[in-house]
Amino acid sequence: MKDFLWLIPTLPFLGACILIISGNANLPRRAVSIVGCGSVGAAAILTIVIMIDFLTTGQIPEYTVIVNWFSVDNLSVPIALHLDTLSLVFVFVITFVGFLIHVYSIEFMHHDESFARFFAYLNLFVSAMLMLVLADSLILMYLGWEGVGLCSYLLIGFWYEEEKNGYAARKAFIITRIGDTALAVGLFMLFAELGTLRIQDILTLAPQQWATGSTTPVTICLLLLGGAVGKSAQFPLQTWLPDAMAGPSPVSALIHAATMVTAGVYLIARMNGLYVLAPQAQLWVGIVGAITLLIAGCSALTQYDLKRVLAYSTISQIGYMFLALGIGAWSSAVFHFMIHAFFKALLFLAAGAVIMALHHEHDMFKMGGLRKQMPAVFATFLIGSASLAALPLISAGFYSKDQIIWLSFASQQSNIWFFLAAVVGAFITAIYTFRMVFLTFYGEAKTSVSHMPGNLITQPLVILAVLALFAGFIELPHTFGHVTLFSDLFSTTLPPVTLRPNVESHEWIIQTSTGLLTLVGIAMAYYFYVIQPKIADDIHASTIETHRFWYAGWRFDSLYDAIIVKPILFFARVNKHDFIDKLYSALVELSEMMSALFSRSQNGILRWYIMGIVAGAVIIITFTLIITP
Amino acid sequence: MNRSDLYSLTPLLILSSAAILNFFSISIKRNHKVIFAITVLSLIGDFIFLTSYSLYHQQHIDPLLVVDGFGIFNIGLILLTTLVVALMSYAYFEQREERKEEYYILLILAALGACIMVISKHFVSFFLGLEVLSVSLYSLIAYLRTRERSDEAGIKYLILAAFSSAFLLFGMSLIYATTGKMDFGGIGYYLTTTQDIPLIMMAGLGMLIVGAGFKLGVVPFHMWTPDVYEGAPTPVTAFIATVSKGGMIALLVRFFNAINGYQYESFTNLFTVLSIASMFVGNILALRQTNLKRILAYSSISHIGYLLVAFLSGGSMGAQATTFYLVAYFITTLGAFGIIATLSDQHRDAELIDDYRGLLWRRPLTAVAFSAMLLSLAGIPLTAGFIAKFYVITAGIGTQHWLLVFCLVVNSVIGLYYYIKIIAVMFDQKLQIKSAKELHPLVYVISSVTIAVLAVFLFWLGVSPEGMLSLIDDVI
Repeated sequence: MKDFLWLIPTLPFLGACILIISGNANLPRRAVSIVGCGSVGAAAILTIVIMIDFLTTGQIPEYTVIVNWFSVDNLSVPIALHLDTLSLVFVFVITFVGFLIHVYSIEFMHHDESFARFFAYLNLFVSAMLMLVLADSLILMYLGWEGVGLCSYLLIGFWYEEEKNGYAARKAFIITRIGDTALAVGLFMLFAELGTLRIQDILTLAPQQWATGSTTPVTICLLLLGGAVGKSAQFPLQTWLPDAMAGPSPVSALIHAATMVTAGVYLIARMNGLYVLAPQAQLWVGIVGAITLLIAGCSALTQYDLKRVLAYSTISQIGYMFLALGIGAWSSAVFHFMIHAFFKALLFLAAGAVIMALHHEHDMFKMGGLRKQMPAVFATFLIGSASLAALPLISAGFYSKDQIIWLSFASQQSNIWFFLAAVVGAFITAIYTFRMVFLTFYGEAKTSVSHMPGNLITQPLVILAVLALFAGFIELPHTFGHVTLFSDLFSTTLPPVTLRPNVESHEWIIQTSTGLLTLVGIAMAYYFYVIQPKIADDIHASTIETHRFWYAGWRFDSLYDAIIVKPILFFARVNKHDFIDKLYSALVELSEMMSALFSRSQNGILRWYIMGIVAGAVIIITFTLIITP
Repeated sequence: MNRSDLYSLTPLLILSSAAILNFFSISIKRNHKVIFAITVLSLIGDFIFLTSYSLYHQQHIDPLLVVDGFGIFNIGLILLTTLVVALMSYAYFEQREERKEEYYILLILAALGACIMVISKHFVSFFLGLEVLSVSLYSLIAYLRTRERSDEAGIKYLILAAFSSAFLLFGMSLIYATTGKMDFGGIGYYLTTTQDIPLIMMAGLGMLIVGAGFKLGVVPFHMWTPDVYEGAPTPVTAFIATVSKGGMIALLVRFFNAINGYQYESFTNLFTVLSIASMFVGNILALRQTNLKRILAYSSISHIGYLLVAFLSGGSMGAQATTFYLVAYFITTLGAFGIIATLSDQHRDAELIDDYRGLLWRRPLTAVAFSAMLLSLAGIPLTAGFIAKFYVITAGIGTQHWLLVFCLVVNSVIGLYYYIKIIAVMFDQKLQIKSAKELHPLVYVISSVTIAVLAVFLFWLGVSPEGMLSLIDDVI
């Protein structure tokens, strides 16, 4: 299968090229859909073939060189891919979920004028993301990393005629850029220290070079964490993601839920060998995750906009993944990533269908009663919500999240605060998830349904719903079933988690109690938003300050505005006529002057030219005669 | 001379026979198409014949010539370049009144002269090749004699080239007077065996540099370039910019390697000064220029300055960088002049920047191709120009020529300004309505396909230069 690996990122890239070159006007919509979905679909099929090949034979293509860009002396720049089980899981999610979202988009974007542009961006995004996870060296990964950043910018601002969309796009781009800078500095340090940026070489060289806990790997790991925090919208760089909902719903599903924002998770999981050497940095990964999952969960409780609830829930769930990475539960983080991709894509797509049906109404308090009007969407949304809230036993989300909660108790590297954060987070998740379900689908209908989703929208929803229900069964806890199909995949790629001694017996207690907490949370949501909506209003009225604070995302935007944006703008105003600029303008003026001066020598007079040659000859001969060897 | 010598010289014989065949054809009946076909076919045939040689072919035709991998590679380069020039000439001359046919004879003879230069290892063959090339160029430059600047440019080139040839000859005789040798190997042997080199010898080498410097158009022997570039018909300008300069560079590489000139600090210092002066003067002169042909002339001055950085690095790395730079520069320059030629009309060349205002909206593909050429000249990644420049810088850093590399980087920035300015003009939204009398569209097909092929090569070399690099590696 090695020979076809290069096609996986190349096919979507070709699709993007075709669509960009042909433009909006030259291809009929049907052809655009075929190119757009076909390229990603073909990549998905190839991935599945490789997976089957792997599952039957245990063989996986590890390393292939696509093309050797150039080599000069001992510097060679190959474009090479590395596929192991970790990247395989990511590739599978990107191509498969990506394909479903592409299919959904055919109907969702059907009336949009820039149909081809949309698919071109989506294809470009998929190819960049595949490059990111398949890259053999960190340089190539960085290419994909910036590529997805670019596509995210393009897609958030897809409806660029509206000013606020452009603002959201720029915000996302600039804030992730802060993280990217940290990442770039981290890469420079790695190269300066180890002399290579090939991931596999780094992972073998690092333990030989550094002792566990020494400063260099800790610094590098913290810088990489900075990159991951920016891309994955974690505390303190989480503020761009809720605004990113300005893009079309399929974009939110693909980029801001299923794939791109998990790039940070991938980066840390990929560099696991470094983090093992830097326990302090790894602890910070966990701390970031714990803080993020709590503050994002609280904000999600107070939102009115359906998509913003989902945005905050995404931040919170990625917080869980970071927490898992921080406690050394590597494979649990990847497992939660996969399940999260299924149910969050499902939720965003279903939300998109709801919003489309209600004339682009985003406010949940103006929805309601959709249970009967849109039964298919309701059923799938309910399944997605159950998975997000980790409804015990029957949802996939339960198995992935439960594993993280359990390990946050049992892992050697964890502590009681991580465990508490995880449990409280699970409770909050249950409340806000079902608050959203009840507000949107129960109660009286407040807005009429204008447009019923067609097959191209419902079929992807159904497929994702099946996955959101059953995908969890490939990894069951010790207490019942004890299936480890998923974590077995990583026996060679990711280190196993070390448990504290004698904790196995507590596992069922923790599972039962978190399960009960979830149920209590759902019941509370039901009570407040269906049975006694007045109580919810009362609570809202009495805690109006907290509510506002959480609604505004803990006012991080205002904080950054006050301590960063304003001072910079102030300095920019003060230093408008930058004296350093004088240096450059002087250079420009000097060049112009020289140019005027020199061009007088080009006067077209032959004798002058001959003079030039003679003068040159005199100089040269003098030169050679005086400075003889 | 024996049979295998003859075999090695066949490419030159094919060129000469093509010229003679053209003579016959003209004397029977003037026909642009027939002459064009003979020229193109013989150039293609010659190139195909050339590919039959092994890269490690080595044939000394004592005492004058040596046909080796380096020579074969350069002959191939010259043949292909001449082919491209011929292809772009058809549409250009078809719309003009003058007699078109003799042009091709002169073109072939000029190429022949350049080919002799790149395989010569002796002063006599060097001078013979140079003069065959120059004499053809005198008439080529003044070919469109009804045009105002054409004969002026021709006369200027004639006088200045003759003047510099005198220096060259005098330099050669001084060297002969001291060493008693005229072949490069012999001179090199003399230098290795002599402790104290006589001053006359040094003066001779200095005069040699004057002659070569004139051909290359390095500062301070550069002043003819803009006038000649402007006055000559555009395809001829392309030929001067590429073949005439490239042949001289190849010869210099061979000569300097043979006498091991890199060990003499006075020469490396001298070339350093010439290189830096060329870079700065060329780029700065181009800044405020509004005539595109003159801009390209100034740009070629600075590019020769860059090339000298690679040349000065010496060794196999320097030779490789030089050769690769030549290839990239040839492709780019041919493309740029090719586009000027296609946009020119009956009366004048499209040489003012204003002629290109809004070109993107009138002829999008041409504008994109031209932008690619300009970006390659500026050395932007993904084009051949970037890899070439990167290679030159690597060679320069590898041999610790920090001053040169620094100047190269600074000049790349200055150069960017006037390249980008042209692109900006092309993307200007203000539409200019031009009412040019168009020829039959088929005439343009040849030029357009040529330019498209050049653009493809430009990106191909920029994206995957590996093949070309290993080819160059093999011949050196």
